[in-house]
Amino acid sequence: MLLFRAEEHVEKWCADWNLSRGETLSPDKCWQLAKVWYSADRREPDWRRRTADEAESLFSELGLTSPFWRLLPS
Amino acid sequence: MTAGQEKADFDKEVRRVVYDFTMREGAPPTSERVAENLSTAPSDVKSSFARLADAHILVLQKGNGEILMANPFSAVVTPFLVNVGNRSYYGNCIWDAMGIPAMLGADARISTSCGCCRTAMEATIKDGALAEASGVVHFAIPAARWWDDIVFN
Repeated sequence: MLLFRAEEHVEKWCADWNLSRGETLSPDKCWQLAKVWYSADRREPDWRRRTADEAESLFSELGLTSPFWRLLPS
Repeated sequence: MTAGQEKADFDKEVRRVVYDFTMREGAPPTSERVAENLSTAPSDVKSSFARLADAHILVLQKGNGEILMANPFSAVVTPFLVNVGNRSYYGNCIWDAMGIPAMLGADARISTSCGCCRTAMEATIKDGALAEASGVVHFAIPAARWWDDIVFN
């Protein structure tokens, strides 16, 4: 996941790397995602990775509902 | 206690030491440092690293079995420098770079560059909010395929 100056720079990067365009988020939406994804203390014995179901729910709560964010078979 | 439970408990201890060290020192520790901390053999720690990598909790360097990523932290220099107070960290990507102040609960300044033209860019986290940032974040790979090639991703 990279930061770009503008959408046109994303388009050029994708063309240069021969990649399909993925999804873009505002920096603030990315910060919201980082906060909920990484705020749990991984030093704690009870910490565990989210299940795919839990991760999808988290994406959904942030409005990330397109197929791009899907982890479970539909 | 079964051998499986013993390994699971040991892996939790290794995870605790890895993140404690990383958050305090700025980068993930070597297997030797973790072994010293737990008074055990480095080979046992490397086995634990391998199990934690299989569980997608760590990403290891190819060939030597040492940590490459303890997300959101990188063990190597990346284009995502995160300054927190007088300490520096490296994130694996812009999401992870933002994840570092999220995990530390601290203000931070993230220095990176445009993925396309390499123009320097910065983002600032202050009091739990994104105080200063511009541009757009691009996720190239759909979520279901992130772990197909986590280093590229």
